[in-house]
Amino acid sequence: MGHDRDWYDVNIFRPRKGYMTGEVVIILFVLLGWAAANFGVQAILFLLAESPNGEGILTRLTFLSFPWHFWFTAQFLPLWFIILCILFNIYIDRHTEQHSRRKDRSHD
Amino acid sequence: MTDAGPNLTPLIIVTLTLVSFIVAGLRARARSASDYGIGGRYIGRIGGGAAIASNWMSAASLLGMGGLLYLQGYYALAYVIGWTGGYVLLLVLMAGQIRRFGKYTAPDFMGDRYASPSAGLISAGISIIISIIYCTAQFKGIGMLFGWLFGTSYRNGVILGSVVVVGYVIISGVLGVARNQQLQYTVLIVSFILPLMALAYKLGYFWPLPQFGYGVAIQDLKQEFGINFTAPFASGSLFQWISLCFTLMVGTAGLPHVLSRFYVVPNIRDARWSLVWGLFFIALIYWSAPAYAVFARLLEARSGMPLPPAAAGKMADIIVIKTAVMGGLPPWMVGVLAAGAVSAAFFTVAGLLINGAASFSHDIYYRFINPRASESTKMALSKGAVVALAAIVMVIALDPPGLIAEITAVAFALAGNTIFPAFLLGIWWGRANRQGVISGMLAGVVITFSTPLFGHFLPFVAVIFPLTSSAFFGAPAVIAIMVVVSLLTPPPPEEMRRFLAERVHGHMD
Repeated sequence: MGHDRDWYDVNIFRPRKGYMTGEVVIILFVLLGWAAANFGVQAILFLLAESPNGEGILTRLTFLSFPWHFWFTAQFLPLWFIILCILFNIYIDRHTEQHSRRKDRSHD
Repeated sequence: MTDAGPNLTPLIIVTLTLVSFIVAGLRARARSASDYGIGGRYIGRIGGGAAIASNWMSAASLLGMGGLLYLQGYYALAYVIGWTGGYVLLLVLMAGQIRRFGKYTAPDFMGDRYASPSAGLISAGISIIISIIYCTAQFKGIGMLFGWLFGTSYRNGVILGSVVVVGYVIISGVLGVARNQQLQYTVLIVSFILPLMALAYKLGYFWPLPQFGYGVAIQDLKQEFGINFTAPFASGSLFQWISLCFTLMVGTAGLPHVLSRFYVVPNIRDARWSLVWGLFFIALIYWSAPAYAVFARLLEARSGMPLPPAAAGKMADIIVIKTAVMGGLPPWMVGVLAAGAVSAAFFTVAGLLINGAASFSHDIYYRFINPRASESTKMALSKGAVVALAAIVMVIALDPPGLIAEITAVAFALAGNTIFPAFLLGIWWGRANRQGVISGMLAGVVITFSTPLFGHFLPFVAVIFPLTSSAFFGAPAVIAIMVVVSLLTPPPPEEMRRFLAERVHGHMD
């Protein structure tokens, strides 16, 4: 192949130029959205707590008759995960097509 | 509630449901034997999603989650989030790459990627332990349901249920009943949501979409009875919530029977989109489970008989069924709900016992003990292993160590501490090697069980690595061990590193 050893060293923190770089960028964005919504909002809930069991402004607000924090965690987060997966698939499909030598989906 | 005697109508419905799966499976097999290719018939992205969801749904989803929410309120939402958010990790970090790698099971992947039969053997052992723990939770659900259906004790329920479920697995195996996972999923979702709609209607809440209409019930619970179901940190701290949630997520992405789901569709693109549909179908159940828990609390409060904590804990795992009974639903509808829960537990047990037995006969016996074993020996051994595994599980389930969802969580913690890091580094870091993965997986096993092993004389261990939540610090620790040991030892074979670069990552560049 004529490649040196670095060429085939796979490392997510040092993605190879080309397809893998774009792939890792998409992955990082999705993971950021995943972690922020998931752990970030719990942390905010904790920071805004006015009592030991965590009640505060976000638990007093309501949405669709749910306390806001309960609606966010029980209803919105699973939906958010689905949205993230859809976004990931759309972008990775597009990215794969851009980097495919042939446009006949033979890369699938 | 007739705890003293058998609940006949539900019992008949459960029996008919199980028989109908065998009949439907046999008919499908006779009709379209030629339609089945490798890993089953191609059924499209939505069908693939239904298969992923049906493969996933277990007693923990249909019974255990409702039970924990009933006991712990908001805190138990960590299970809802953990078991859905894990699919994001699975999709973005692993799904496509595992498929390109081309190995179907965890032991095959480990053995191949790390060029190490020992790594394959260790992961086969871990897969079997995961199967046993996971099955124990299912057997608890089956035992409680059978106890209720037949009006007998939990102990008798477990024994009776074990006999029936092993019979079901053997009949399915002997007759070669094809698993029709779309039918299975349809039964599960209808049997879970139909009674919920009826309950919401009876209680006077928004019933057409009951999973989004129980907010008023939460308010009523607080205003009428002063019960705050949604206090965020009433049952556990922020750290406990996040560590449990994270553990369930990495466990989801590391469970062997979930990882091997990407082969029933013909290409990577369809595999990825099936996963999205699968997550949607899973979410339909998980949006609904909290509603059962809220209705249970409300019905109890309205009847003026809130259970003392000990009694509530004992029956939490079938609170979903009890809610339907308390709500005055007709027996046939309670039967439909019970049939869904029994089916979920049965499918999961069947899948896990068969996989566990195959792992034993193929990955352990054939590869390490007797490579010249004939097919018939392997087959006989596999059947024996099903019965042996079921017997072990039954004995543990007779004195269950926790609630269904909690027991299941331990299996997730083990997967998250061992198989998840091994796959993650195996795919994303070419330098990870045999020594690294072996020491990492062994450390992961010790970390998972460190609380029962060392917790009583090293109290900080129980704080850092709680049994159901050990992967929050455990998975990063295992990754660190794998990195350090790999760097201190020689790199993996050059062909594998080249294969990873060329085939698994960016082969089309």
